[in-house]
Amino acid sequence: MTMRFARGVIAMVAALSLCDGARSVPSAAVPPWRIDPFPSTYHPLPRSDFLLTNATILDGAGRRIDHGDLLVRDGKVVQIGAALAHPAGMRVIDAQGRWVTPGIIDVHTHNGTFVVPLTDIDKESSDVSELNSPNVADTWIETAINVQDTGFSRALEGGVTTMQVLPGSSPIFSGRSVVVHPIQATNIAAMKVAGAPQGFKMACGENPKSQDADAHDIHGPTSRQGEVAYIREAFMAAQDYRDAWDRYARGKAATPPKRDLKVEALAGILAGDIHVNMHCYRSDDMATMLEVAREFGFTIGSFHHAAEAYKIPAMLRGAGTCAAVWGDWWGFKMEGLDGVRANAALLDRAGVCVSMHSDSAITGQRLNIEAAKAAGAARAIGIDVPPERMIRWVTSNSARILGLQTRIGTLAPGYDADLVIWSANPFSVYARADLVVIDGAVAYDRASPPAHSPSDFELGRTGAPHP
Amino acid sequence: MKTVLLGSAAIAMLAISSASSEPIAITHAKAWTMTASDPVPDATILIDDGRIVSVTTNGAVPSDARVIDAKGQPVTPGILNSATQLGLIEVSSAAGTRDQSSEAHGIGPGFDVSMGLNPNSALVALARADGVTGALSYPSKSDEAPFAGQAAFLKLRTEGGILDHAGAAVVALIGGNKWPKDAGSRAAQWQMLRRAFGKASDGHHDAGRDKGGPHGHGDAASGPPPGSDDAVLGAVLEGRVPLALFVDRESDVREAIRFAHDFSVHIVIMGGGEAWRAADALAAARIPVVLDPQANMPTSFDELGNRLDAAAILYRAGVVVAFGMAGGAIEESYNAGLDLREGAGLAVANGMPYVEALKAVTTNGHRLWGGGSGTLAAGETADIVLWDGDPLEPSTNAGTVLIDGRPVSTDNRQRALEQRYLPLATPQ
Repeated sequence: MTMRFARGVIAMVAALSLCDGARSVPSAAVPPWRIDPFPSTYHPLPRSDFLLTNATILDGAGRRIDHGDLLVRDGKVVQIGAALAHPAGMRVIDAQGRWVTPGIIDVHTHNGTFVVPLTDIDKESSDVSELNSPNVADTWIETAINVQDTGFSRALEGGVTTMQVLPGSSPIFSGRSVVVHPIQATNIAAMKVAGAPQGFKMACGENPKSQDADAHDIHGPTSRQGEVAYIREAFMAAQDYRDAWDRYARGKAATPPKRDLKVEALAGILAGDIHVNMHCYRSDDMATMLEVAREFGFTIGSFHHAAEAYKIPAMLRGAGTCAAVWGDWWGFKMEGLDGVRANAALLDRAGVCVSMHSDSAITGQRLNIEAAKAAGAARAIGIDVPPERMIRWVTSNSARILGLQTRIGTLAPGYDADLVIWSANPFSVYARADLVVIDGAVAYDRASPPAHSPSDFELGRTGAPHP
Repeated sequence: MKTVLLGSAAIAMLAISSASSEPIAITHAKAWTMTASDPVPDATILIDDGRIVSVTTNGAVPSDARVIDAKGQPVTPGILNSATQLGLIEVSSAAGTRDQSSEAHGIGPGFDVSMGLNPNSALVALARADGVTGALSYPSKSDEAPFAGQAAFLKLRTEGGILDHAGAAVVALIGGNKWPKDAGSRAAQWQMLRRAFGKASDGHHDAGRDKGGPHGHGDAASGPPPGSDDAVLGAVLEGRVPLALFVDRESDVREAIRFAHDFSVHIVIMGGGEAWRAADALAAARIPVVLDPQANMPTSFDELGNRLDAAAILYRAGVVVAFGMAGGAIEESYNAGLDLREGAGLAVANGMPYVEALKAVTTNGHRLWGGGSGTLAAGETADIVLWDGDPLEPSTNAGTVLIDGRPVSTDNRQRALEQRYLPLATPQ
């Protein structure tokens, strides 16, 4: 058996184990960082096949189809085009005058951990970030998520079908993220997207250094240079761990390295199995982090916030790193001073993968409008962005950040039927998400909204329900 | 090349400055005068000596007028944001740039933010470029609960400062999260408010009696010194200045109505997340509301009722609604124009008539704070914005912005950065 073949089998077995929800003991075939101790139990909502007709379709990958049709069967997109044949007996949704896009994907939320109303317990000890160390790579944010956060249902009503919940940026190694569908459930596993690559959050710049400077009992870095040294030290330990694992996997060592939840997570980053979402604002911070990643041979999947990404498009393009940015946030802290609204459009024009993110449950209800703001600012400096291009910033590019670009974010045969029927051009503030479909199932229907708020928190309180 | 461009821009500005007295004709405008429910189509807007002369369909253009072609796009009065901290906060995380709050002992309702305004703020320039010509800039907490201090009304002029008038409102905050340590129960906050006004009222009447009548104005000899807490509250008691009350919970909104009745003062509900639950009572008491039109999350226990159609409900009940604070703390000052317009658009998407949402970002705020009428009526100050599309669409940009009848610079840091780095964005 050649080594190439062996590796192929390892990859296959690992993929199966991820899908099955994973075993908790590593074997020679499954390195510890690929174990998912909190497997998904998500099942699609009840669904029926349908043919959507007469819509202005933006496929999420750059194509616009006027008077377009879309065929959905068994939760997947089967066909997309004009004047598709109507299979006998199939339900037809007439979208005359309306627009259809892939479901919106938000790659940066704190839903379920930044839960409003915030109370004394949040001030005392918030679940957004674990603060016992600058390195909390052993934490999984899904173990903290309060699924009754009204942010989930508000996002769904805004057309969001998939979102990544990230830990906060106070620690440098902030922990594992989770990718979920914003459907009503009693636990996060039932919302968790099965088979999604694992995501990880890192942070650079002001937040981690000020956190450690403030804390009396933590001796973490208090400067940017300290953060970089800390990161390199940690990845050197992770290299040793990964090498020890490889020796074991090749049969060169009798026993696997002892499990270490922090080090093995970083080894998974080095192995390319865990996607890095890195919080940075300044261009010099991002350039430094790209150098660190190059030194250790991994790719930073995406910079988040990336207020100055527009200053380094060639660097980002060369590294294959995406930027997740805001439509108009800027200025509230020193590293955000140079944020500009045209950031996304400038990056897109330069061939950088760019995505709008929210970081806020208010903004997260309208990522399509965040894209419209960026495009509007770009128009003022002579860059025209048509809707079919703009939609990529909240669909296919976002899917790429999650490593799900072959499953969601595009309306094409074989893709998950996650889509939104909008009452109008989705980049208009007047557009409403009329129908939100996840895996072929209606998750929200504006024409027959739930009688009561989907969140238990809002249930049974005095006054009219939230509209 | 860059130098040449900057040079020509500077020359253009000089030309504008030196031609301040020339009449201006804005042609082919879809003119929202705010004095009618529909826009004037293909309008010619004539401006002379800083004031609007006329708005007429296909109106004649005087031969000496400088012509600005609106190309069929909307033209509106300048946007007014009724709740900002423009000019008071530059970088939230840089203490030396924050002037919104009095922490000085003994400075309470008299705290006057107008002395701390920064006309060169990058936030002001961006707001102006977004079509904002007027703004209420309000103080945060003072040293004396439940007061914040005196708000200033800004006009975002490029020369001569941004203060239009100081003391545009006396601001107080009452509720669950607003005074976490100092003031305890909201019931105590109401009592403190009543006590302060009761005391000022006694002093006011005493001063009045000295001058021979209950409504006489205090003077330096017999009344409270100008700018003192009692003088500031006295101006509210005389009905010259509104009391802007940041309250959200329905119980506090109703308590505010009772307070306004008992003390016969003009109040404005600020925030008012649950004001819609008291819409009829507010309408009956003629109390206006300044809303955050983007608020639809239960941000605090006082705001469980936050909803996107709050503006529509209040309007239908007959309450005067103005918008401010759009998008919460990050946006209210950093995107005082763009996010306010987005919020007004959302209000329309949730049932508010279009022209009423426009009023909520133009005329209605002027009814509360003064500083003109916010209309394009003949004789009004010509604060005007030309748009490249629907002003309530966040993708729309302001083009020419006129303040006092003159086009002003819309240069700002963001645009300068975008221009500087645009050459790096080479199409791939």
